[in-house]
Formats: sequence, structure tokens, C-alpha cells
Amino acid sequence: MKGLAAIYRRELAGLFLAPLAWILLLVVLFYQAYFFLLVLSNPSRGPEVNEALSLVLGGGYPFWLLLLTLAPLLTMRMISEESRSGLLEFLLTAPVADGAVVVGKAMAATTFLALAWSSAFLFGLLVQFLGAPPDWGQLFTAWLGASLASGLFCALGLVSSALFSTPLLAAFMAILANIAMFALPPLVRSLHGPAGALLAQVLERIDVFRHFQGSFQAGVLDSAHVIFFLAWTAAALFLAVRVVESRRWLG
Amino acid sequence: MIDVQHLSRRFGPHLAVDDISFRLERGEVVGFLGPNGAGKTTTMRMLTGFLPPSGGTVRVDGFDVLKDSLAVRARIGYLPESVPLYRELRVQEMLWFQGRLRGLSRAEARRRTGVVLERVGLAERARSLIGCLSKGQRQRVGLAVALLPEPEVLVLDEPTSGLDPLQRLEVRALIRELSKERTVLLSSHILPEIEATCPRVIILQRGHIAADGTQTELVARLGGGGFVRLELARPVELERARTDLAALSGVHSVEAQLLADGNAACEVRGEGDLRGALGALAHARGWTVRELSWQRPTLEKLFTHIAFELEHEHPAGSVRAAPPSAEGAA
Repeated sequence: MKGLAAIYRRELAGLFLAPLAWILLLVVLFYQAYFFLLVLSNPSRGPEVNEALSLVLGGGYPFWLLLLTLAPLLTMRMISEESRSGLLEFLLTAPVADGAVVVGKAMAATTFLALAWSSAFLFGLLVQFLGAPPDWGQLFTAWLGASLASGLFCALGLVSSALFSTPLLAAFMAILANIAMFALPPLVRSLHGPAGALLAQVLERIDVFRHFQGSFQAGVLDSAHVIFFLAWTAAALFLAVRVVESRRWLG
Repeated sequence: MIDVQHLSRRFGPHLAVDDISFRLERGEVVGFLGPNGAGKTTTMRMLTGFLPPSGGTVRVDGFDVLKDSLAVRARIGYLPESVPLYRELRVQEMLWFQGRLRGLSRAEARRRTGVVLERVGLAERARSLIGCLSKGQRQRVGLAVALLPEPEVLVLDEPTSGLDPLQRLEVRALIRELSKERTVLLSSHILPEIEATCPRVIILQRGHIAADGTQTELVARLGGGGFVRLELARPVELERARTDLAALSGVHSVEAQLLADGNAACEVRGEGDLRGALGALAHARGWTVRELSWQRPTLEKLFTHIAFELEHEHPAGSVRAAPPSAEGAA
């Protein structure tokens, strides 16, 4: 566990020591603020504080677009570049389990995203001062769900980073995979015929958006949906560890 | 301390390390010598648990490198060839990170950081960014990182590459000092490096152990590695001199040739240092001696000999050096 904590701390520090993380934070802040204000200042319906807040925390496509691209950008270098520079050799010959190395990295990237999503709390405070108190419970569950979803996509990003030797390729492939994972279930649902129905049933199992909507967005902390995210994250991390191990065998 | 049995490693069809076995006792300093691509780095990676072997076993302090990987890793300080360091960290931060990875307490990690930086001569660069250091300085930071956990075994892959001659001397002195308390395995393709630091040498060639022994043993086995060089001033009757020299007791072979300037150069091989006998002979024959010197056999000659032999006579097989024939090789 000590090794895991050491890796986690190092990776988090590494993220903040690189300019990319700060740029991404800035982008997130502007992007989120834009969509928040867009809903809030909708002239036809009047200010809907909770709707605006849920939009920036998983309630709408803008958030998912951001998550699906940010997670790969954060994780792309974590294994591919370290494998090239020999740092992976350093980590994998330290008395730390392979799993701890991968999980530490995933936790660092997830922490960064959770921090980025916490900008929603700022918006909440703002509207509170302006006299329209938000539903803090719903806001918090939405933030928790956003962080859990971030964990899943960071784990997928690490799988890609372990598979591909250049960071850019790793990021590109991870974004493609993320989009497929996110967009396939609703696409398949619109298919007709028995094959389409079967496929839709299978893809239901990986429907991130639906699980998110069904629970966190509504402000309900349902253990089934928490487990959905944790289980898929664990599966992706397991896969990433296996890929790292297979790299040892290949040399 | 390290017990390697029938270790092999293949990369696809390529056999990088082919059935090598050796043992290192506690406190031994052993040099891995071999041309590029001989399997030095691959072997070291298998010892440190980075690469799993294709066949054979590695035991460090009784622990199997595959089954008790973490126990083995905790006992080894490893400096990889590429000297991996986080360039965006400061020197001391890198060392603290290594301390945390090894489960040291904060105070202990800080104390040891001071000690190892002093040892590698970088105490005043503790707060420098690693990315801003020169290659030689980074090499020494890498050494400090390997030393920090105070491991029982040190595995150093080309520890002196990229250093200037002065730093090289310092690192050699450091390794000699470390060897008093630890088992050290280091690799190099630079012969004087190994000659200066390692009493025992393992020569690798195409994934095989071509020779294994102390420097004196190996050089003795070479047979004819050392010889007496005798240069005679003109005019010289070359054939006469050659037969006279060959008739001397203890002489095995004589190579004599006229140099461009008319003087004659002879290489006399026999049982040890024959300078005394040659000098007396020259005196008796009335030759004018320009040079009479003992050419010490070196590891370099042994190495080129073995490498050459393998390349030309046994392209794929392992060759042990011939049994001792020259007694007095020193």
C-alpha cells in the first residue's frame, strides 16, 4: 500500500508539474461556465438552477464530450512514454506490485478530473449568493457520479497507453474507444429486428450514460449504479495490468 | 547471493541469452564484459525481475525471481542502462520518491538522500531540476537512486557511460568502496573499466558465457598472452637470432621480423617472464639491445582473443578458454 501511495503522489505531482494539466483545467472552467450560463440565461424558460448545474455534471452531452477527450489526454503518457524513457523499468523493478503502479496512475488521473469537476460547486455557491439555492445533495451525488465515470474512462485510457507505444496514438485510440462505448448503446437501441434487440440488450450492460442518468443525475445514490462503475473500472484496470505484464514477456 | 542456473531468454526467434549459469557470493564484485548485443543488459533485466526468463532460474538471497519477485526487488539496487529519472523533478525529490517506493520513513529517506548525494558528489545539486543536469550528473543521480535503499545487491548497467575521465575515476573508487559491504554486478564494454574495478570477470559473447574467473586466472588461461619483447639494433642476422632464441630453455615460440629501419623485433613466448635469460643471451652474442620488456597479458587481449575465436571458429557455440599453459602470467 505504501508503494501505491508513493506512485499516486508522484503521478499527481507529475500532472501538475506539466503545463498540459493547467491548460486543461482552464479549458474545463471556461467550457463548464459557458454551458452553465447558457442554460441559466435561457430567456424562454427562466433560470433553472438545478438543471444548469446538472448539465455541467453529466446531465448533458457537453460534459461527456469533455470527459471522453480529457481522460485519454491525461493518461496517454502515463505508460507509453514511461515505457520508452525507461521509467517503467524503474517502477517495475521497485518492490511494488504491477497492480499498484497502474492503480496509482489511474487514481492520480481520476483525482485530477474530480478536481476539475468540482468547479460545479463554485457555480453552486455563486447562485446561492445570488438568492437561488441549489439542491446541494443532488449536486454532490452528480459530482460523485462524474468522478466515478472519470475513474472508468481513466482506466480505459491507461489500457490504451499500455497498448500503444506513442502517447498521441494512445490518446487517439482511447478517444475512439470512449466514443464507441458511449455512443453505441443509444445507436443500437434504434435498430430494428431481433438481432438489433439482442445487441441492444448486450450493450445495455455497458451503457454509461443510462446508468448515470438513472442514479447520480437524479440525486439518488444507488449502490447498483455505483457498483456498475466500480466493476467496469476494476475490469479495465485489470486489463491494463495484464497488458503491462505482457510487455515484460515481450521485452 | 545470486544464483543463476541455465538462464535463457528469447525474443521471438532470437536467442539473446542461451543457457548461462553462474554464482555470486556475498560481497563479490563481478564485471560483465561483452560486446554490444552479447546479452549483458538482458541478463541484468532478468536478475532484477524486469524481464521474466524464458528458461532457467534466478535466485537472489534464496528468493526466486519469479515466485518471490518483490522480495528479490527489495534486495536489489538497479541502475538501468537508460538511467530513468523524472526530468521534471528535483534531484532530492527523485530520491525521496525512491525512499517512499521502498517504504522508508520520511526522516530516514531525507537522511539517506544527504548521504548518497555526498557519496556521488552531487550534494550541492540537490535542489536542481534533473532535466537541467548534464549527462554525467544524471548518471550519478541514477547511481544515487540505486544506492538509496542500501541494497544488499547492486546491479549497475554501464555505470560509467557518459562520464568524463575524472568522474569515471570517482565512480570506480565509489564502486570499490561499496564492494566492501555489498555484492556488486556491473556491466561494461569498456575493458579498462572492468580491469580497474572487478576482481572477477564474466565474459559474455552471443548469449553464452565465454569465460568466467578472476582476471589473473583468465589471463593465465589465455596462454601466450604475455611475452617478452626484444628489439635488437642493426645489423642483425635475423635467422641466426631466431634459432638462438628458440634454442633457449623455456622458450615456446619466437616471432622475429625486420622493421623498416633495419632493426629487428622479436616476440618471445615461453614459460613466464624470460627477460633474464634473454638478456644473458644477448650479452653472450654481443647483440645491441634497444628494448627488452615484459608485455603483461591484459584482459583486452583475452577478450579480443575470445571474441575472435567465437566469431571465426565456433559461430554459435560456447568456448572455454584453453587450460593454463603459461604458468608465470602475472
